[in-house]
Amino acid sequence: MAATLALHIMFAGMMPAQQRNAPPSVSYDQHVDAGGMAPPAGTLENPLKGDKQAAEDGAKLFSSFNCDGCHGGGAVGSEGPSLADGRWKYGGTDGEIYHSIFYGRPRGMPAWGGTLPPDAIWRLVSYLESQQPKRDTLSTTSW
Amino acid sequence: MKSIIGLGVALAAALSFGGGSPADAQRPASAPHDDGQWTMPGKDYASTRFSGLAQITAGNAKRLHPVWSFSTGVLGGHEGQPLVVGNTMYVVTPYPNVVYAFDLTKEGYPLRWKYRPSVNGAAIGIACCDVVNRGAFYANGRLFYNLLDGHTVALDAATGKEIWKTKVADLNRGETTPMAPLVVKDRVIVGTSGGEFGVRGWVKGLDVRTGNLVWTGYSTGPDAEVLAKPGTFQPYYEKGTELAQKSWPGDTWKNGGAPVWGWMSYDAELDLIYYGTGNPAPWNTEQRPGENRWATSVMARRPLDGALRWAYQFTPADNWDFDSTQEMILVDLTVKGKPRKALVHFDKNGFVYTMDRATGELLLAEPYVQVNWARRIDLETGKPDVDSSKTTGASKGTVKDICPTLEGGKNQQPAAFSPITRLFYVSTSNMCMDYSVANVSYIAGTPYLGATTPYKAGPGGNLGAFIAYDAARGKKVWEIKEPYPVWSGALATGGDVVFYGTLDGWFKAADARSGKVLYKFKVGSGVIGNPISFKGPDGKQYIALYAGFGGDWGLLSGDVRSDDPDDVRPPASFMPDIARHTSQGGIVWIFGL
Repeated sequence: MAATLALHIMFAGMMPAQQRNAPPSVSYDQHVDAGGMAPPAGTLENPLKGDKQAAEDGAKLFSSFNCDGCHGGGAVGSEGPSLADGRWKYGGTDGEIYHSIFYGRPRGMPAWGGTLPPDAIWRLVSYLESQQPKRDTLSTTSW
Repeated sequence: MKSIIGLGVALAAALSFGGGSPADAQRPASAPHDDGQWTMPGKDYASTRFSGLAQITAGNAKRLHPVWSFSTGVLGGHEGQPLVVGNTMYVVTPYPNVVYAFDLTKEGYPLRWKYRPSVNGAAIGIACCDVVNRGAFYANGRLFYNLLDGHTVALDAATGKEIWKTKVADLNRGETTPMAPLVVKDRVIVGTSGGEFGVRGWVKGLDVRTGNLVWTGYSTGPDAEVLAKPGTFQPYYEKGTELAQKSWPGDTWKNGGAPVWGWMSYDAELDLIYYGTGNPAPWNTEQRPGENRWATSVMARRPLDGALRWAYQFTPADNWDFDSTQEMILVDLTVKGKPRKALVHFDKNGFVYTMDRATGELLLAEPYVQVNWARRIDLETGKPDVDSSKTTGASKGTVKDICPTLEGGKNQQPAAFSPITRLFYVSTSNMCMDYSVANVSYIAGTPYLGATTPYKAGPGGNLGAFIAYDAARGKKVWEIKEPYPVWSGALATGGDVVFYGTLDGWFKAADARSGKVLYKFKVGSGVIGNPISFKGPDGKQYIALYAGFGGDWGLLSGDVRSDDPDDVRPPASFMPDIARHTSQGGIVWIFGL
């Protein structure tokens, strides 16, 4: 009990500094929340949200930066997962998608933060958001 | 096509008239001695995938039945094959590349040991085409194999204890290592994958005792690094120096692909290893004008120092992703009346090549599937007569109806050769494609592709077939049509029964002479691995193979997957119903009488 309390106090003491220095972060459903310390949620919003031109530019970037080589043309999935099925392993809000592109993900998603400027990443986010189904039409399949 | 089926029927009829007995009487006598083991991927250094075991015959194959199965616990595509050495069976899984050693002397074949390596998960995103592994190689009490993340490992075959582990490939450059090593003399020989990531393809020779790097032979670049040494390198067709550098503009050879991810063979008398190289990168040929040597080629090297003896390019200036990494089968054939030490190669590009393996001279080249990108291969020059209406490039837009597709007339799935029937048994795809490419930029560690290539069925509508082929005469003898591309390897046996598996999950046994299907069983998942045959401790002949859908088809028909709730994909346009018949699953099966 004492040890748990000490741990709690230690984490609590660390939090403000962590939050100040934390990069745009991510909260997704798969996080298991132990001890009331959920990770801070992403707060970034896509400044180009709903911009058709941005989505079209993003489609070009998706091809020219070889994203389609893994995720497939139209982002429907190949060696990498589908990004057009309305389902997200690491969250599907603006900030979460941005984070995935900026920092990369385990199992082979490269980090593009050092290569692509924020504006280009937002255009990619706009493109992916434009590819989402209105509702999940793939949850059942029949023949 | 009709005449081929007619021939098959005629052969079957001829055999059935004899009641099978004349052939039966010949079989045990003509079957070469076999010790009942399967110690290397291709069964022998010649890569024949022929087992002399002859208990299973056309007469009794209908009594085959499953005697054992084991879930590998892994869902990726199960290419490759088990090994059987003494009374132990060895199985390598796709990523995360677990090795299982089964004790065949005990009921239920319990494990002797299990080896679980640490493998970098980033390799999953660098491997182009599923996280496959093509198997292990046994030599002198050790088991050698590659981890997907670019390491070669040597294990004590008795205990599973790691003896050495060497980093050979660099993920950050797009290199992964799905192939099985070849062990010859004091060398473990391995190659890299990554033709879709703009690698510079290589083969490395490691010291068998320590794993230390002894030599590296690149597929492209200066003679000194390709190991094309004056006096030793004597190609049959191309003359001159720096062939693998001057056939590329500028320094494009540095990211020119030509990976090595398929199978290797060895001729002890000539002391040469043989293997094929993959596609040049990127797929847009206009970014690399030239013949792009030695992409899409066969290479003959000395195993101890890697020196290149000869090379031959099947598809110069590849426009269609026609890798040549398919196996090189070393057999002695009589071609046009002359006995030849031959090398037979069923290329992705749809032609089967019969070559002199000492010199690299091309003896015969005929299509074994529907081909329209080239009219013929000129035996004088060794060059294809290309149909210019089928050439591709970023400036050409979408080029329609190219046969075969980039999946090939055949791809990774190795063929078998029976010294009894003198026929090759080959799993094939029957598909054509449209092809459009874009200009792409090289970004290390990302795909270097830029292509859209929808597939469609070839003539007849069946997407695949299992065929018997006479490479001495350049003729197909029979075929079994299959609704889907046939992606498993072939096995030929002394009992004149051949074996393969299908993408929709059937294990099949067929009469080697007639192509009549003798037995089939639904194995739970599509088959892309290679059947083997062995003699158990009880003296009986068995067949083992993997079920485990995946490889290219796992990418293209992602609706077959059910393991990831965050990744749901539409069916493939060219086989929208494959998921009706199969789903993922890694299972080792053993069949017996």
